[in-house]
Amino acid sequence: MKLYRVNALMLKYWYICMNRIDRWFDIFYWPLLDIVLWGFMTTYIKNISEFNLLSALLGGIILWMFVWRGGQDISLFVLEDFWSRNIYNTFTTPVKEVEIVISTIIFGFFRSLMSFVAMALLAFVMHGFNILTLPWGILAAIVPILMLFGWATGIFIAGLIFRFGQRVQIFAWSFVWILQPFSCVFYPLASLPFWAQPIAKALPTTHVFEALRAGLNGTPVQWGWIAYAVIATLTAHVVLTMFLASSLKSAKKKGLLTRYD
Amino acid sequence: MKTVLEVKGLEKSYGKFDIVKGISFSIKEGEIFGLLGPNGAGKSTTINMITGVLAKDAGEIRILGKTLEEDWEYVKNNMNVSSAYFNLSGILTINQNLTVYAKLYNVKNAQPKIDKLLNDFELMTHKHKLAENLSSGQRTRLNLCKGLINEPKLLLLDEATIGLDPDIAEKTRRLILEYQKRTNCSILFTSHYMGEIEQMCDRIAFIGDGKIIKIDTVANLKKMIKKQQVEIDFIKNNKQLKDFFLEKDINIILEDDNRIVFEIDAHGDKLYRLMSSLFKRGHFVRDMHIKRPTLDDIFIKIARKK
Repeated sequence: MKLYRVNALMLKYWYICMNRIDRWFDIFYWPLLDIVLWGFMTTYIKNISEFNLLSALLGGIILWMFVWRGGQDISLFVLEDFWSRNIYNTFTTPVKEVEIVISTIIFGFFRSLMSFVAMALLAFVMHGFNILTLPWGILAAIVPILMLFGWATGIFIAGLIFRFGQRVQIFAWSFVWILQPFSCVFYPLASLPFWAQPIAKALPTTHVFEALRAGLNGTPVQWGWIAYAVIATLTAHVVLTMFLASSLKSAKKKGLLTRYD
Repeated sequence: MKTVLEVKGLEKSYGKFDIVKGISFSIKEGEIFGLLGPNGAGKSTTINMITGVLAKDAGEIRILGKTLEEDWEYVKNNMNVSSAYFNLSGILTINQNLTVYAKLYNVKNAQPKIDKLLNDFELMTHKHKLAENLSSGQRTRLNLCKGLINEPKLLLLDEATIGLDPDIAEKTRRLILEYQKRTNCSILFTSHYMGEIEQMCDRIAFIGDGKIIKIDTVANLKKMIKKQQVEIDFIKNNKQLKDFFLEKDINIILEDDNRIVFEIDAHGDKLYRLMSSLFKRGHFVRDMHIKRPTLDDIFIKIARKK
């Protein structure tokens, strides 16, 4: 891996963001819209509930953004090359697959930070919710897990795109939302139907949001489950990176990168 | 002379369809080598395998003595490709695209080089235009600029001048030839324009049905076509003239008023001797046109598997 090629790819993503206003919508528009909508909703619901619903919901929305951004950025920047029929030219250069993944992760990290700051500020200004009042130990543990998990989903979607082409691009927008209901972002694991609980338990994100709610309620955090979430996320990274490598090999074999359409 | 590209027994198939069936050729340092063949013959597939974007099923590709598997950095950094079939990123400007590619190839002090390329290819005034807003000719030239950004020792040009108007196409060919002379790089060139191939290439490989049918110089390839067509407009046509052609066993294709079109050996002095005899017998010529064998004839012959 060469750092100058990672820098070159990040420069390309920067140019894309500078030239396309919709790339800024990704960072600010949707996240801020979520805060406004869910903020008003929870302001209403909290009047009929004793639980600290505002913090749980807004905390969930803000932290889920790390999964959403991480997953979408990797797949969208890969798709960008497909859309402009530039994928061939990218792969004729000395660039390596790992450099594409690393550059999208680093660039996505900064985009996530921008979204996080904007969402946290708006949640504080509009609804008086300060995400930084959450226990710092919990935040320090769960934010990296959510980011890593988001990147793992991005690597998975990129793998799908390289294996099946643009016909699966819908997953770039929708995949994390398929996971969201099972991740218990806004409700406890126990509230899920019986059949859905094993799926939820297998997802690292579920344990992260359970920890968030425990932190808000002042109940003990299940650190064993957080450890599971770390191991599961890292395992997912290894497995999905292998899947991406295998998909790229398949794309090169099937000629997916050399198709004109 | 050093071999820059060596392709041995290259094979590629998609499912049941064999696209490239054991292609072998080599290109020397400073040589411009043309790949010529009908659509679907396997030209672009061969180039795609050389770039490493398409995996080969069998065979070996050596660039400057090394395979991609042996030395990825060295091989990739010493070659580049310009293909009319693929774009650069549409939502980046010309300058942004070339800056990114210069950085990917680790080109030092890139901006003056980019500006020179943009001046040479008459794109300077569009430097800050988004690539998606360029005309097809401008995109083709941008692709060429990208292909030259790292001053490659092996340049792969796949239909690189397609879509250019004749004036720009001529300038582009001149620039490529100038670049080639200045750097002594080797070029693998595919085109459907036979005149272009003839002008640019030292040697040509004809590909048909995934196999190399013939590799030779343009002059030698033209010898594949044995006959040439000659059209003569005589001052006066008469029976003696027709008898003369019959006597010489010349195949008349068309006889129309004073005009006779016939076929005669393209090589040797048969036409010269025929004309001498005609003059000696008092058959005077008003106009004459010789249609010599061209690469088009060879292309058509191969494409139709004659």
